[in-house]
Amino acid sequence: MTPLPLRQDEDRQIVLTDVSKFYGEILGVNRITLTIDPGITSLVGPNGSGKTTLMNLLTGLIQPSRGEIRVLGLSPRNPESLFRRLGYCGQIDSFPRGMTGYQFVATFLRLHGCGEAEVAARAWRAIERVGLADVAQRKVAGYSKGMRQRIRLAQAIAHQPDVLILDEPLNGLDPMARAETICLFQELAREGVHLILSSHILHEVDMMSDRVILIDGGYLRAEGGVAGVRQEITTRPMRILIRCDRPEQLAAMVFQAGIAVEAQLHPDRQGLFVSTTQADQFYLRFNRLAIESDLAIESVVPVDDDLAAVYQYLIGPQGGGE
Amino acid sequence: MAVYEHRYQAYEGALTSNWRRFLVLPRYSWQVLARSRLFLILMMASLICPLVYTILIYLHHNANALAAFGISPDQVLPIDADFFRVFVGVQTLLALLVSVLVGPTLVSPDLVNNALPLYLCRPLTRSEYLLGKMVVLMALLSGITWVPGVLLFLFQAFLGGGEWLLGEGQKGWLAVAIFLSSMAWILVLTLLALALSAWLRWRSIASGAFFALFIVPFPFGMVIFEMFQNRIGFGINLTMALDAIRHGLFGTTSEIPVSLTLGEGALVWAGYCLVALWLLSRRVRAYEVIAS
Repeated sequence: MTPLPLRQDEDRQIVLTDVSKFYGEILGVNRITLTIDPGITSLVGPNGSGKTTLMNLLTGLIQPSRGEIRVLGLSPRNPESLFRRLGYCGQIDSFPRGMTGYQFVATFLRLHGCGEAEVAARAWRAIERVGLADVAQRKVAGYSKGMRQRIRLAQAIAHQPDVLILDEPLNGLDPMARAETICLFQELAREGVHLILSSHILHEVDMMSDRVILIDGGYLRAEGGVAGVRQEITTRPMRILIRCDRPEQLAAMVFQAGIAVEAQLHPDRQGLFVSTTQADQFYLRFNRLAIESDLAIESVVPVDDDLAAVYQYLIGPQGGGE
Repeated sequence: MAVYEHRYQAYEGALTSNWRRFLVLPRYSWQVLARSRLFLILMMASLICPLVYTILIYLHHNANALAAFGISPDQVLPIDADFFRVFVGVQTLLALLVSVLVGPTLVSPDLVNNALPLYLCRPLTRSEYLLGKMVVLMALLSGITWVPGVLLFLFQAFLGGGEWLLGEGQKGWLAVAIFLSSMAWILVLTLLALALSAWLRWRSIASGAFFALFIVPFPFGMVIFEMFQNRIGFGINLTMALDAIRHGLFGTTSEIPVSLTLGEGALVWAGYCLVALWLLSRRVRAYEVIAS
């Protein structure tokens, strides 16, 4: 396969420039500046942090009080061209009354401008992709929560959008359906779709996202790859677990080398937790230590560079930050 | 950093034209309505008057048929402005009943089921959404009012020929009067039905409010008039306004001793339409903003 040149121009990016949204005196989001590339981008933050507002701004359902938004070079103020390239699945359980699953997907395809010949084929393809072909002719009102979630996802992907904005798309799905849906997201992301989703399930976000956007109280707290964000948090030493045969000796060595601010023995005494403020420096020096010493090192694993840790450090268990 | 294959192809096929995109909306509404027995009964009832009028026009032009029924030509209703005005009056009353039945089902279910964001994140504006919902009712009401009215006019013009059409009075204007007076009813009924459907989520209350709009202002206006000899109370009387518009367009005189002029009627009518549009613009939004 001939590798395609990477295009970093605005036509392939979602760009928010100094975007603020106020609901009267209530702050939705404030001064958000972001550039989002293709792949899975997860919005993470406590309830009321502004995730849904940000998604609604991207979909053009609400307009910013200040700033500018460009989605693949298009303005959300121009719904005719933007919405052709955008698929949206909101957080609220929403369906026009009385429709079957198939009618639901087909109606919105027609609203997108697909002709009758295209509608049936595309609707069925999307329904099959979310695994609801058997129940597509049943009324949506009779669906379980997970089935409703999936049929809404089907209507969001049916018209083959370039950008998918999904608010809490994994809510109500059973473990098997969650795994299948995550696989679908990853497949779409690999193909080059922008997937912007919000979720409260941090380990799943961590597993599937290329980058995260942490938002709290309407303010952007961090954005980027989880590991990169973690390294930027210099106020919290990074914790690394080193499995080895003589952890006590290793503790003395790391302190002597001045590359750790804290060391703690693992309860099974077969490992050492080391805290360091400069992870890059630590790894460089530790390599030398490992070669020079005769320690039998089994593994070196960072233990707090996951999203849960980043979330806790930046936003706190209740939100509100450190 | 993930490796992006960039092999995803967004849909680039043919699209239906923008101007008729809103017509997707009435599609299911009509399908749902067709399952309602009461709706079908009303639609059948709306055919009675056109049928009777067709017979009357036919008899008017057929001396043999009149003789067969034992009716003298003097007893046959004259086919003039009043003839068509009464027809429009009867049919618009049926249109009101259809609006009461259909109106509350238009916007309210989308609001109750939070479906508006789904519609509005498509290549569909708020105006097009409303237009799509208006078409549901406007098409039905047109089928009850001006379409059979104009067909009856054409039938009469065909049987009466140039003598009737070009004779006393400007008969050609009657077709325009049938259309305009029906459209005045249709537009205000549709806008009010949508506005009430958007603001009142309970169907029975929306239907009750709809009826009340046409009934309550009349005694209110009359009481004000009797007490103060002031016509200001008629300023909210939509029924009277529509009656004035109909009489004005057909060039006939109202039987009601106190009535509005064509201009006053049009003003009241426009006021109701504007209020309904304002109510809709406040309600039909992708998201409801609640200020604390």
